Amino acid sequence: MSMPEDFLGRIGYLLSEYGPSFLTGAGKTMLIAIVGTLIGCLIGFAVGIIQTIPVGKEDHIGKRVLLGIIKLILNIYVEVFRGTPMMAQAMFIYFGASAVFGFNMSIWFAAFFIVSINTGAYMAETVRGGILSIDPGQTEGAKAIGMTHVQTMINVILPQALRNIMPQIGNNLIINIKDTCVLSVIGVVELFYTTKGVAGALYTYFEAFTIAMVIYFVLTFTCSRILRAWENKLDGPDNYDLATTDTLAHTSGMYSYTAPRKEEE
Amino acid sequence: MSQENILEIRHLSKAFGKHVVLRDIDFTVKPGNVTCIIGASGSGKSTLLRCINLLETPTSGEVLYHGVNIADRKVNAASYRSRVGMVFQNFNLFNNMTVLNNCMVGQIKVLKKDKETARKNAMAYLEKVGMAPYINAKPRQLSGGQKQRVAIARALAMEPEMLLFDEPTSALDPQMVGEVLTVMRTLAQEGLTMIIVTHEMAFARDVSSHVVFMANGVIEEEGEPEQIFGAPENQLTREFLSRFIQG
Repeated sequence: MSMPEDFLGRIGYLLSEYGPSFLTGAGKTMLIAIVGTLIGCLIGFAVGIIQTIPVGKEDHIGKRVLLGIIKLILNIYVEVFRGTPMMAQAMFIYFGASAVFGFNMSIWFAAFFIVSINTGAYMAETVRGGILSIDPGQTEGAKAIGMTHVQTMINVILPQALRNIMPQIGNNLIINIKDTCVLSVIGVVELFYTTKGVAGALYTYFEAFTIAMVIYFVLTFTCSRILRAWENKLDGPDNYDLATTDTLAHTSGMYSYTAPRKEEE
Repeated sequence: MSQENILEIRHLSKAFGKHVVLRDIDFTVKPGNVTCIIGASGSGKSTLLRCINLLETPTSGEVLYHGVNIADRKVNAASYRSRVGMVFQNFNLFNNMTVLNNCMVGQIKVLKKDKETARKNAMAYLEKVGMAPYINAKPRQLSGGQKQRVAIARALAMEPEMLLFDEPTSALDPQMVGEVLTVMRTLAQEGLTMIIVTHEMAFARDVSSHVVFMANGVIEEEGEPEQIFGAPENQLTREFLSRFIQG
């Protein structure tokens, strides 16, 4: 079968010849983006939580110094990885590891590592912001019933912070789906690399990248819809059922205490 | 009931930087007492209450709880707080939990009760404040008065020895004030030890066994409600209460 003359015909031709390659590329893109975002979120939560540990004058000097050093290192990590392009980081880490340390990382390991550590740097700030956005009253309420700092974080603050930063996590996932294309510089055969190969082989740049654009958009749009649905689920229903079987029960907000109570003994 | 003091505050002072908020505060609370702290805004009432629950660290002085100074850094603040409940002006219910879970989480995580016991206990107290039908609601779905009653149930579910109220009705409209004060009156009648910072003078007069009047970070006058509201000796107390007594 020879190459058709018209645009749509060429696209059909590319799909029939290279459809599976496009799908494999898209699959790799998604895998790197999802795993990278998940690990990045874990890194981000860990860093963000450590950065918001309160230290006061009443704490032990050793604890304060140790925390100070850890926070400084984490700050450097966040600033360096937020402040340099991922493409440059990919080259630096992948080739640097083998040239300087003699550590030849596999291409997959490099891909996951670079995306995770990058997302982690962004998420650290997002999580920190999410924790700081929670009303201090929530912490006081938890403290007042005797919760420790860790219990307060796990049960009260983090669930609320997570809900607040969900849109940002979605944002990161979508950015990662698109930004995996920079990994093509170290030879990761994801969607962009595949498309470039197809385009170059048949000299069909416009057609091949039309297909790539559509695939990228379908991937990101689907993800953003799924995440939105998840957010709504986290919010729970807008209504609640009154937990009473007595339909005549007084439920308008006032409650009468005039009836004699039996509790006196 | 023993007449040993639950709480004894000695020479308590608190400063934020150079700004001195509390100066040399002394007072004691006996079991079953309802102590109302009154005074103008900014007189240090809330700070005093927050010092008692260690939400603020006193600059100097002692807060003796059953004779143990809890302002000492070696004391485990969390375990002390689990025995002294607190109700806030802004409710501070956990927004991520239903009404029922708000009242259960402390029992399960802090007191290590099993789920079923915690649930029964929480239900009993929610029943008491008239919020049992609302167990499935989230705080954002409730009115202010309802939130405050849940907050009281949450504090009670920990079965505290003493309950602190920090202006519990200041953020509520008059009708909601009524429903919250009704609950608090019931608790007072049942003999729960309470320290209440309030602007509800009629409530303070009727319910308290002891009234403390504060101005500019010091206790200007304290005594029985009949005396404070009927025949205040201090000039500042008289001025503060003049509008209330006339009206």
